[in-house]
Amino acid sequence: MQLSSVTIGQYYPGTSLLHRIDPRIKIMAAFAYVIVLFLVHGFGPLALLAAILLAGILFAGIPAVWLLRSLRPMLILLLITFFFQLLFRGGEELARLGPVALYREGLEQGAFLVTRLVFLVLSGFILTFTTPPVLLTDAFGRMISPLEKIRIPSYELALMMTIALRFIPLLLMELDRIIKAQRARGASIGTGGLLRRARAVMPVLIPLFVMSFRHADELALAMESRCYRGGKGRTMRRKLRFGWRDAVFTAVAAAALSTSLWIGI
Amino acid sequence: MHIEAHNVSLSYQEGTPFEFKAVSGVDLAFAPGERIGIAGPVGSGKSTLLALLAGIMAPTSGDVAHDGRKLGRKPLPGPGSLGFAFQSPENCLFEKTVHDDVAFAPRALGLKAEEVNRLTKEALACVGLDVERFGSRSPFSLSLGEQRRVALAGLLAMRPRVLLLDEPTAHLDPLCRHDIIERLVRLNDETGVTVVMVGHDMDEMAHFSKRLVIMDGGRVAADDDSGRLLSDRNLLERYSLRLPGTVELCHLLGEATGGIVAPVLDEPAAVELLFQMAGGAEGASCS
Repeated sequence: MQLSSVTIGQYYPGTSLLHRIDPRIKIMAAFAYVIVLFLVHGFGPLALLAAILLAGILFAGIPAVWLLRSLRPMLILLLITFFFQLLFRGGEELARLGPVALYREGLEQGAFLVTRLVFLVLSGFILTFTTPPVLLTDAFGRMISPLEKIRIPSYELALMMTIALRFIPLLLMELDRIIKAQRARGASIGTGGLLRRARAVMPVLIPLFVMSFRHADELALAMESRCYRGGKGRTMRRKLRFGWRDAVFTAVAAAALSTSLWIGI
Repeated sequence: MHIEAHNVSLSYQEGTPFEFKAVSGVDLAFAPGERIGIAGPVGSGKSTLLALLAGIMAPTSGDVAHDGRKLGRKPLPGPGSLGFAFQSPENCLFEKTVHDDVAFAPRALGLKAEEVNRLTKEALACVGLDVERFGSRSPFSLSLGEQRRVALAGLLAMRPRVLLLDEPTAHLDPLCRHDIIERLVRLNDETGVTVVMVGHDMDEMAHFSKRLVIMDGGRVAADDDSGRLLSDRNLLERYSLRLPGTVELCHLLGEATGGIVAPVLDEPAAVELLFQMAGGAEGASCS
């Protein structure tokens, strides 16, 4: 596997309607969607939520194939969830094979939970696919900026998020390289018994640690040398503006979500 | 070991909007004992090609074969006859001592303790480090040049028949660079190990390579005798490569004397040329 090609939630460049919505609104909408998703019961409201999701996908202009592909890493989790529900829920018996019985409640609950999980992940993906990470953290920083009053450093928190997000692909790339390099030297990574596997981690972990500390060091030095002094008095080149598009989007999203909530509780 | 590439291509992030074709349709064959340089502009696919040839990466299409055996889509499982180093291989040092780090590969190959010790000592000597002095030190206490040497020794300890090195002299001081190139040349001369090196410094290339492959835009732009390519001013300029110093010197001499001076590729030849031009009435190499 090519670790560096992991694309979970990677920004998908575009100029669709959703790409142009204020990221703050998008974050709040995704958040509200998830809350509603976990409040409602029954397949009726779920269908409405599916329609909202579909509308979101259409307005985001993301190829469905791409969206589905990013679900692939979740497949095992989804399957496990489904089978657990299937096996450990009693109720009306539908079919039986020896000691294993299939219950209606299990089937329904399994399908419901899996759908919920898929929707949860997809709503997050729509957000991250249509918003560059920098804008995302920017918006996050501004949303929590009222907390400055109780001395929570919002700008610093947002910056930490940006840096963390930036470092994930970088570290994955390095990890990939280190694994390949050590394999070429005969390290047996991911094979053999438990002890062997545990020992084989060292040739990868130590270089990765050394590397990440070095990166952190260099980054800190680079920030110092460019006179980084925290968020105080900092101005932004990109100004977030709440426009008519955002207003319409907010209204539609609020209407759709409250309808689902209303019929679902 | 014969290394062959048939119509090899590799795309990063295939099927996404970020798809980037690093190597496309490369055909190459390296015979045992060759000393090959790979050069080209930044982003021309040199490093990717090297990893493909080593079997460290699998091509998206095409085949790489070692000794006629196709590698397929799975990367090489283990070490042995081929030593490969990414850029800055010292980043992968991890053991407590230099000796253990160099001994890592032969141990992984399952060799006996005394054999491992012998190979380690020889490998360290080959890169110019004394096992008595450096063997028990931590690799993290060494200078960058020494770390690089240890990393290269870690490959040599496997007794590879092929070495594929991605910019083995990058970020090192000039003396150390020169020494490493010198040692690679000697290794190839004395033991017949194939050495393939990706590099940016054309002076080093002139010194090191017998055959030069120039990459551009993921394709092989030129593949010929190193001396011929490195004396071709127009060719090198087209691929934003600098002329080796001695070739540049010959060119300047030609301009100054109003003639054409046949380019030479090493310093002793350049000195001789200068003596000839200073001493000879006509300038022996002018024509």
